[in-house]
This record gives sequence, structure tokens and C-alpha cells, in this order.
Amino acid sequence: MNTKLKAKLAKYLIAIGDDELVLAHRDSEWCGHAPILEEDIAFANISLDEIGHARLWYEIAAELLGEDKATYPDQLAFFRSASQFHSIQMNSLPNGDWAFTMLRQFLFDSAEVPRLEGLVESSHKPLAEAAVKIRNEEIYHLRHTSAWVKRLGLGTEESNRRMQVALDELWSYAQQLFLPIDGEVDLVAAGLVPDSAEIKSAWLESVVPSLEQADLIIPDEGPPPRDRSVQTQHLAHLITEMQSVARLEPQGRW
Amino acid sequence: MTDTQWPRFMVFQQSELDEPFVHNGTVHAPDPEMALMNARDVYYRRPKAEAMWVVPAESIFSVTLEEQTSKEWQQEAEGAGIEKEFHVFAKFSHQGQCEQIGIVSANSHEAAMRLAIETYTDKQVLWWWVFPSDAVMASEAEDTSSMYDPSLEFDYKSQAAYPVVTMMRQIHAKGKLEE
Repeated sequence: MNTKLKAKLAKYLIAIGDDELVLAHRDSEWCGHAPILEEDIAFANISLDEIGHARLWYEIAAELLGEDKATYPDQLAFFRSASQFHSIQMNSLPNGDWAFTMLRQFLFDSAEVPRLEGLVESSHKPLAEAAVKIRNEEIYHLRHTSAWVKRLGLGTEESNRRMQVALDELWSYAQQLFLPIDGEVDLVAAGLVPDSAEIKSAWLESVVPSLEQADLIIPDEGPPPRDRSVQTQHLAHLITEMQSVARLEPQGRW
Repeated sequence: MTDTQWPRFMVFQQSELDEPFVHNGTVHAPDPEMALMNARDVYYRRPKAEAMWVVPAESIFSVTLEEQTSKEWQQEAEGAGIEKEFHVFAKFSHQGQCEQIGIVSANSHEAAMRLAIETYTDKQVLWWWVFPSDAVMASEAEDTSSMYDPSLEFDYKSQAAYPVVTMMRQIHAKGKLEE
């Protein structure tokens, strides 16, 4: 792989790593507040899994960029400003209620699975190997969130109403998942990553029937999604909080 | 506030395919499918699970060593009904967990219990559990990989392995953080 292509792949991995990390932080905010103890534990596990996925993607990016695999992930997570993150906007939105949180996780996981199916076939071996491991965890996440979407959608009038409100807000944000990441064309041509358009069609095939079976109405896609360089105002607050401890002692060993 | 607690399910785990299922603990859940997932999330940090069962607590009939000879429940064992399969679990020591010892066929929980006690006479049992096989929600063999394998790769470090407390002391000492 030439240096240019390596840099593009690293950028792609940092972007999808950022998606994981930002969502993981939002998920972690439920720790101690989820509806019941069992769900609190389950959702904290999911949050930890997502942090682990971010670390894996950052580590592979580090190797591609000739950076230190041991320290680079922490540099990316704790010492960049919000404007340097390339996560999708959806993942930085405040948690709202449980319906919003579960639906966001469901929409995200449903895109993760086809993306990982593609990455498992990547011509970059370390990436393909990491994808195998992550896919296994995402299959379980999706099972968990699918179960919640179904129960909340079909539960009571109130739970259905909350789910529909969440879906109406999240649907257009979710489209950003399928906006090609910078340099993606070359990466797809080299067999390194899957085409975002294919991820989107797989996503639609799985989420539309699930949501309709949960008695929810699919909204319009809305305006075209924003580029990943444009962040919500919420991300800056999230990043400040997430980095506050690490920045107290930048050289510290935790 | 009304009681919003969900029903209770007993969780059983099988560590190796040829080993008995062992009682692991309990979870609350609105239904069996969610119970199975909650069980996985609460207990999967114990690696080497091959399979898991969840059983509604209300489906389990329990008899202690003291109650074994009681007339009260034995009278209930006389009724007629359609025979079905019951799992028999037993706890052998105060420290031990309740584990699977066999299957009997009977027309009620009480009849199954009587049959279990008659069948497994060679064992000194502290308490017995019986529950119908159809009350079991089991994890599927094809789920083993996504449900249990991830835990095999986790590091289990004692909290003492992390220098967090020392770090926080140093930070406080430098006056960087408000108490």
C-alpha cells in the first residue's frame, strides 16, 4: 500500500473510530441511570465494547501512519479538539429518553453490521482480523437493541409515541452514516473498505422492515447529510467532559 | 409508585457441553427472550459458557431437606394430568450451586418432585428444584459465538493493577482539582 492510500485508510478508520468513541461516551452516561439494574449492566457492557472498537480502529490507523500503537489511541481520544473529530452528528446528540437512546443505537448497529461484513473482506489483513472480532460483538448489540425497538414500538401508546418522535428526529441524522468518507473511492477500488452505498442498501433492507413491524412510520430522509467535518454544538461539551480527567495530567499513567 | 419490578428468572449456565447446567443467579426481565440477554450481560463475564438457560422463578417448585417428608406438598402429587418432562436440580452443600441431575416424567410439579426424590435416593440433597422442560428458554448453539466468545478476550485485572488512586492523589496535591 502506498503512503497516500495508507493515509486515506487511516483517516477512514479514525472517522469510524470516532463514531464508536462518541457513541460509547453517550452510552456511558446511562451508567447508574438505566431503567433497571440488568439493563444498566447490559448497556454499560455495550458502551465498553464500543470503546474497545474505537481503540482497535485507532491502533490500526496508528500502524498505517507509523505512530506508536500504544499511545496514539489515547492521543486521538483525549488530546484532539472537538473540531478535529470526524464522528457523525447523530452520535453526539444528547441521550434524550430511553427510546431515543435505544433507537439511535439500533440505527447505528444496523449500519455497523454490513460495514463489518465488508471490512471482514478487506485486503488489509489487520483490518479484516479486527473486523471479525468486532462483528461478533455488534451482532449481539444489534440483537439487544432490536429487542428493545420491537418492545417499545409495540409496547404502549406512550412508548410507541416516544419511539416515533425519536425516529422522526434520528432518521435524517442517520443518513450521514452513508455519506462516503473522504478518500473512500480509492479505498473501495483497492478492496480495502466496502462502498457506503452498499452499506446503505443493506441497512435499509434490515431496518425498514424491523421499524415497520414495530408499528413505526419511516420518515422522509430530509436534506442531504452534512460532511463529517461539521459538528454539532453538543460534541464540544461531550469532548470537554470526556477529556477532563486525562487533561489534568497529560503525562499521567492511569 | 406501583411496583415496576419485572418478573424474576433463574439463570443456569453450562460451562462445557458435557457438563450439567448449574444455577448461576437471577435476573429480572419482561419476557424470556430479554431474560436470556440480561443473563448474558450480567453473567457472561464468567468465561467458558457454552449455553445458558433462563427459567421463570414461578415455574420452579422447590423442596428443602426438611420439607422432603412433608405431607403438605405430597398430597398435591396425587392429581391427574398430562405427563410431561421435568428437569431435576439439586444442591448438595451450602457452598455449592444447584445443579442439573436428571429428568423425570410426571403430571405435576409435586409428582415430579416425589419421583425425583425416589429416583435419586443415593444422594444427600439439601434442596431440590423441579421445573418443566417447556419453561426453559435456552440460548441457541449458533449464538454461542456472539454471546460468549467476546468475554474470552477480556483482561481481568484487579483494581489494584490500575494506578488511578495514586494519580488522583498527585493531582489533588497539585491543587488542580477542586475537592
